[in-house]
Amino acid sequence: MPRLPLGSWVDSSVDWLQARLSWLFDAVSGGITGLYDGIDAVLSAPHPLLLAGILAVVAWWLRGLAAGLLSFAGLALVDSVQLWDEAMATLSLVLVATLVTLVIAVPLGIWAARSKTVSAVLRPVLDFMQTMPAMVYLIPGIIFFGVGVVPGIIATIVFALPPGVRMTELGIRQVDAELVEAAEAFGTTPRDTLVRVQLPLAVPTIMAGVNQVIMLGLSMVVIAGMVGGGGLGGAVYRAIGNVDIGLGFEAGVSIVVLAMYLDRMTGALGRQVSPLGRRALAKARAAASRRSAARLWAHRPQPVTALVGIVVLALAAGGAGFLGGSGPTSTTAAAQGAGHGKKLSIGYIPWDEGIASTYLWKELLERRGYEVETKQLEAGALYTGLAGGQLDFQTDAWLPVTHAQYLEKYGNKLEDLGSWYGPTSLELSVPSYVKDVKSLADLKGKGDRFKGRIIGIEPSAGMMGILKDKVLKEYGLEGEYQVVDGSTPGMLAELKRAYDRKEPVVVTLWSPHWAYSAHELTKLADPKGVWGTGDGVHTLARKGFTEDNPEVGAWLKDFSLTEKQLTGLEEKIQSTGKGKEQEAVRAWLDAQPGLAEKLAPQ
Amino acid sequence: MSRLQADHLFKVFGRRPADESAAVRALADGADREALREDGVTAAVVDASFTVEPGQIFVVMGLSGSGKSTLLRMLNGLLEPTAGRVVFDGDDLTALSPRALREVRARRVSMVFQHFALFPHRTVLENAAYGLEVQGVAPAEREKRAAEALELCGLAGWEKSWPDELSGGMQQRVGLARALATDADLLLMDESFSALDPLIRRDMQDQLLVLQKKLKKTIVFITHDLNEAMRLGDRIAVMRGGRIVQLGTAEDILVRPADDYVASFIQDVDRSRVLTAAAVMSPADGPLDPDAPVVGPDTLLADLCALAAAGPHPVVVHDDAGSALGVVQKEKLLAVMGGASAEGVAAGA
Repeated sequence: MPRLPLGSWVDSSVDWLQARLSWLFDAVSGGITGLYDGIDAVLSAPHPLLLAGILAVVAWWLRGLAAGLLSFAGLALVDSVQLWDEAMATLSLVLVATLVTLVIAVPLGIWAARSKTVSAVLRPVLDFMQTMPAMVYLIPGIIFFGVGVVPGIIATIVFALPPGVRMTELGIRQVDAELVEAAEAFGTTPRDTLVRVQLPLAVPTIMAGVNQVIMLGLSMVVIAGMVGGGGLGGAVYRAIGNVDIGLGFEAGVSIVVLAMYLDRMTGALGRQVSPLGRRALAKARAAASRRSAARLWAHRPQPVTALVGIVVLALAAGGAGFLGGSGPTSTTAAAQGAGHGKKLSIGYIPWDEGIASTYLWKELLERRGYEVETKQLEAGALYTGLAGGQLDFQTDAWLPVTHAQYLEKYGNKLEDLGSWYGPTSLELSVPSYVKDVKSLADLKGKGDRFKGRIIGIEPSAGMMGILKDKVLKEYGLEGEYQVVDGSTPGMLAELKRAYDRKEPVVVTLWSPHWAYSAHELTKLADPKGVWGTGDGVHTLARKGFTEDNPEVGAWLKDFSLTEKQLTGLEEKIQSTGKGKEQEAVRAWLDAQPGLAEKLAPQ
Repeated sequence: MSRLQADHLFKVFGRRPADESAAVRALADGADREALREDGVTAAVVDASFTVEPGQIFVVMGLSGSGKSTLLRMLNGLLEPTAGRVVFDGDDLTALSPRALREVRARRVSMVFQHFALFPHRTVLENAAYGLEVQGVAPAEREKRAAEALELCGLAGWEKSWPDELSGGMQQRVGLARALATDADLLLMDESFSALDPLIRRDMQDQLLVLQKKLKKTIVFITHDLNEAMRLGDRIAVMRGGRIVQLGTAEDILVRPADDYVASFIQDVDRSRVLTAAAVMSPADGPLDPDAPVVGPDTLLADLCALAAAGPHPVVVHDDAGSALGVVQKEKLLAVMGGASAEGVAAGA
């Protein structure tokens, strides 16, 4: 069987599309970003509890008093775990994705319902869209649309479109053929048959499709979070990366609150919108009014009352947003300096040194009058975004070894601004309670104790290759130990599990890493020097960055931190709490007189 | 008053149009439709011709698969005939553009369905007003006319109800009101009473006859029930295998079945409710007994039997003017009733 170069065909067509259709992708990206920013601005403007109140009134109107109260409680919970902004970002993402999906899916479903050919052609396409793992087209998505919310939204649309189309088609097709014939027999035009008979009767099914679209959209937010989509997905992704079970749970629960709210509201809306549903509702209400206890909880205000309530709250929200809005702007107004509000964007992988250095520079640059945006990304997405010029720089490139693969692919589109910390090291580590293992050589003959396993990370990581190809061979561990491929969070979770039970375990780890401050670990010595001399943590910028920003370029080239400074900053960020990275940086800088001036001289 | 004419109608379903027209030629030459089926061609209606006079109820009777529903759908253009013409009121419907055909369906032909086909998302009144809505009649006007049609069908006071709140019989009255509201001259009724239980069906048949006396529509009524066909039909077409095998009045079919197939059908027919005194009377051959019961010529045999059994004399048949047309002898009465099978007589007694 000859090798079909399917992959390289896709590669070259992606390049071709990027070269020829960039205007189209830019337009799509611009449109979606605009829509997203608009919705997010509206949702973020009012005070959280006020918006929670508005949403609760909507729930009260659509489903009853109990639903309204529960909605308020759930949304208040999201606010109290300080994930409100993330939740609103996620809600905006889901709303935009749903909106675009429906605008495409409903007409497509109608078309498919009216033409067997269209239906037959669409079916395999929809299957392909729905089952292709999203990660596969996320990276091309970044190449086309840049990092940020857009590839996440596009991925969500691709994923959520099939049920939207299918449910619309099904809804129309399942309308009783005799009813359609009756409409025709009375001289109804095909278009009117659709509008007067088929669509009204298909509404419940179409709304079930809308509901599915929203739910699938929510299930995609975590994946969107990996390509800079931010929001709750970003929080979950960060939590996974840091094995922060608490944050993961809080973000997860917030997603659940949003999901339940949207699910119940679209369900109720479906009944309100569909003529048949309205009838069933009226019947149920008539039945419920005979039972007084049920009546209180099922009480629903008249649409007019609900509307007035929403308008009043919205006006209050608008007023408060206007007044409250002056708060944050005053701090940026205080910043002055060379930046003159020039916009810079920094990308980072949610690793401790990345977070620390990124927020350090965000704070420094804002003090110098720049407007800085930070984007949390997965490593592949980060390099793709940087090479594509959607990001200005990142501070967490491990070179020349660990991130060598990315540099190989994108090296000519990046500027290396030099190392600010180093050397780093790669190593195998064991918990310190494993007393007799201090060096790689000590592992020999102890395979049984470690169940013959070395807990690895992503098989694509550079250090995994070194481990399998060189380290095991040099120290004669081949055959005795099996390297378990997995993920960084998986490795960290396994380490924590074993550590808590005081079980022996060998993990692949690197320095600097917070695991060394969280657990007492022994880095296994490498007397033969197989791991190599270690990386430096480099700052990488997009091509042309230093030319565009000579001042910032110079600062970044001179940037360096000592181990004491870095661990101190990381510790400060850890202790201040999540979501307050910049506050922690500010406090830390205040305790380091002259450092800000040294790093970014005015 | 409108007149409907079907002229050598064929409806053939094939994979390609060429197959269909070839099949029409073969069928016109007398080919069997079973033979065509092997070529993947289904002949639903074969060479159907008939004329429906204004104000008539024309019943097409046949079992399922006989092509009667297909035939009906060619009459208002829901299905396009493979060959042949439908002429309604002087217009050849088969020659009309889709748009003109829709106009005909909206204004001049309406239809009543087997399973009522009421729109579940519309109230009774909105359902009845549907045809007028399609015509573009203003809301106030169409509601008034729909309400009138509902009242005509005995549904006054149910306007605000929903279809699923009504019994089957009442739902079909809504279907009938919807068809009547458009003031169409031609009413197509597709097994409209078949889904109703027997008592309600009888009731609806009676009501249709009463309405027809008043409205004088031209009606094509499809049924698989010969009793219903005979009760309602001024003329009846019996269909089998896509062809019309007999065309005539109820009496024609009962007394002179065209073939064994039709004959086997009429065994189950209740003759006493189809045949009238006129069919069994004989000329009076002597002075008439003044005590003898007197009936009109349209009296059904079922009503005649009780009178004949009540006294010793033959029943006298009078016309409207009161002059004697003849007498019904008990022997003749029994013989005619006995013309049916034993079950037929038992049912009639």
